[in-house]
Amino acid sequence: MITEPRIPDPDGFYAALLAAHEGLDEAQSADLNARLVLLLANQCGDPAVLLACIRAAAAEDPTTSTPP
Amino acid sequence: MESFAFAPAYELPVWPFVPPPELGSATVVRHPLVIVGAGPSGLTLACDLAQRGIRAVLLDEDDTVGVRGASSRGICYAQKSLEIFERLGIYERVSAKGITWSLGRTFSGEQEVYSFNLQAESVSRQPPFINLQQFYIEWFLVERILELGLTDVRWKSRVTRVELLSDGVRIGIETPAGCYTIEADRLIDATGANSPIRTQLGIDARASRSTDRWCISDVRFKKPLPTERWTWVDAPFNEGRGVWQHLMADGVWRIDYQMPEDCDTAHISRPEVAGARLREQLGPGVEFEFVWIGPYGYRDHLLDSFRHGRVFFIGDAAHVVSPFGARGGNSGIQDAANLGWKLALVAQGQAGDALLDSYDAERQPAAKENLKVTSRSARFLAPRSPAEHTLRRAVVALAARHPFARALVNTGRMSVANDYPPAPQLPEGARTVQNLPLRWADGRETTLMQLLAEGTQCLGLWLAPTRAEAGAALDATAALPLRLLAIGGDSGLPALQADETLRRHLGLHDAGSFVLVRPDAYRAATLPQATPDAIASALRTALALDHHAP
Repeated sequence: MITEPRIPDPDGFYAALLAAHEGLDEAQSADLNARLVLLLANQCGDPAVLLACIRAAAAEDPTTSTPP
Repeated sequence: MESFAFAPAYELPVWPFVPPPELGSATVVRHPLVIVGAGPSGLTLACDLAQRGIRAVLLDEDDTVGVRGASSRGICYAQKSLEIFERLGIYERVSAKGITWSLGRTFSGEQEVYSFNLQAESVSRQPPFINLQQFYIEWFLVERILELGLTDVRWKSRVTRVELLSDGVRIGIETPAGCYTIEADRLIDATGANSPIRTQLGIDARASRSTDRWCISDVRFKKPLPTERWTWVDAPFNEGRGVWQHLMADGVWRIDYQMPEDCDTAHISRPEVAGARLREQLGPGVEFEFVWIGPYGYRDHLLDSFRHGRVFFIGDAAHVVSPFGARGGNSGIQDAANLGWKLALVAQGQAGDALLDSYDAERQPAAKENLKVTSRSARFLAPRSPAEHTLRRAVVALAARHPFARALVNTGRMSVANDYPPAPQLPEGARTVQNLPLRWADGRETTLMQLLAEGTQCLGLWLAPTRAEAGAALDATAALPLRLLAIGGDSGLPALQADETLRRHLGLHDAGSFVLVRPDAYRAATLPQATPDAIASALRTALALDHHAP
């Protein structure tokens, strides 16, 4: 899993991501994110990297990392 | 409201209860092999043994085939099972009666999102799948067993008690004419998911039950539809839930509807309710009659070990999985084929008890794999949380436009002959060898299964050996159960034609390379450059003859 910056225009990417969600309700946004995750996963394709990304994303979730 | 008719019930064969000699005798007779349960796995094992000339007692509490009238239970028989049926001599009947298919299509709403054709991977004489009501399979097996005449089939014989002895098993049996006791050197439990033997022996099956609910409608109608496996992730005619559609023998369609988890199972299986569902699917003007309607929820379980001393568990008694992919009945049939030749070689004094341990070492991991695969399908079909629903919606939406997402649509991964992991008797692990059509050097046709149907021996397939090597190998393996065949060349051995498909499937490339095929058509060893000693050694390893108990 690559964690060094690789996206040439981070602000531009983030803006495009936000723009895609604009006007969507919570469910529509969740659907969009899910489709995006699957499309991006196929760009990577490497099972070890995919599992590392899943683990990293799960570890960042405050509901699982910090007990109340 | 429209009214719906039922077809007349199937007339299934009934076999007579014959009071056995042990009834009313004080002597407890000892039998080498006792199989309990005449379902697909128990019958396959009895038939496999009889085909090999081995006697067994087969006990069943019923006196017919099938359960609950025309309920068909299993319907899809996979290539490996069909190949076993060829070896046992019932394939032609199965093929003539059943529906051959290889193409599966998956739909979401009105749109096809995924399809597969299993024929592409096949070099076997048998097709990837034949659909046939389970009771026909059982019926053909019983008739074949009776024809072979070596199995002591005892109907209306319910096992009430099982007691482990130091050198065998004592079995209490209840019949319409009274109770009696027999003993067995080895007992094979093929009594199915609710095995009373397992319960008696206190063996935990680690069962879990799904909350997913389905309703089967077996139905006959005239509308012409392709003989393909059609599945819907979310059918518009079933309130957005899953549907399976498959043709079986006698023009009967198996249509399986996913129901709400909290449904009233009595209500959803009423003929007028099931009929309304079917009318929605088929449209107006299509006449149909029901053969059977039944609600079900699936469950799974897996024994930690399929062998407990002198008791062996096969089929549903050992493992139960959800129905997606037809991995239940087919793996039971393969359990039987895995155990049959081993029991036969032990009975004939050509192998020791260590070979029987390999049954568990091979089939338990196979069942574990099937449980993993079917659980993933079940989870795709019945998402458990809003997040799982969201992900599945994304998969289905993308699948309509992008090939990569189609691979994620999971309405069941069809039953395969599982690979076996490396083990003492299988240093390289093992893969199935398909039932290749073969030709002898003189042009006569045969198949791998026909070669394996003669006696109980491994097949040594050797690409163009020299005369000297062939002669020395025959000497080195003279006392072992091996049939040595050449592929091409001029070695003096009986020879098969060196067909390219055969060579590629077996992985035989250079002259002198060798493949050892077990009686269950699994490849036990590959020798890139075989010598007579290496062949004898590979055979001894495969039969666990070099095993020394610690």
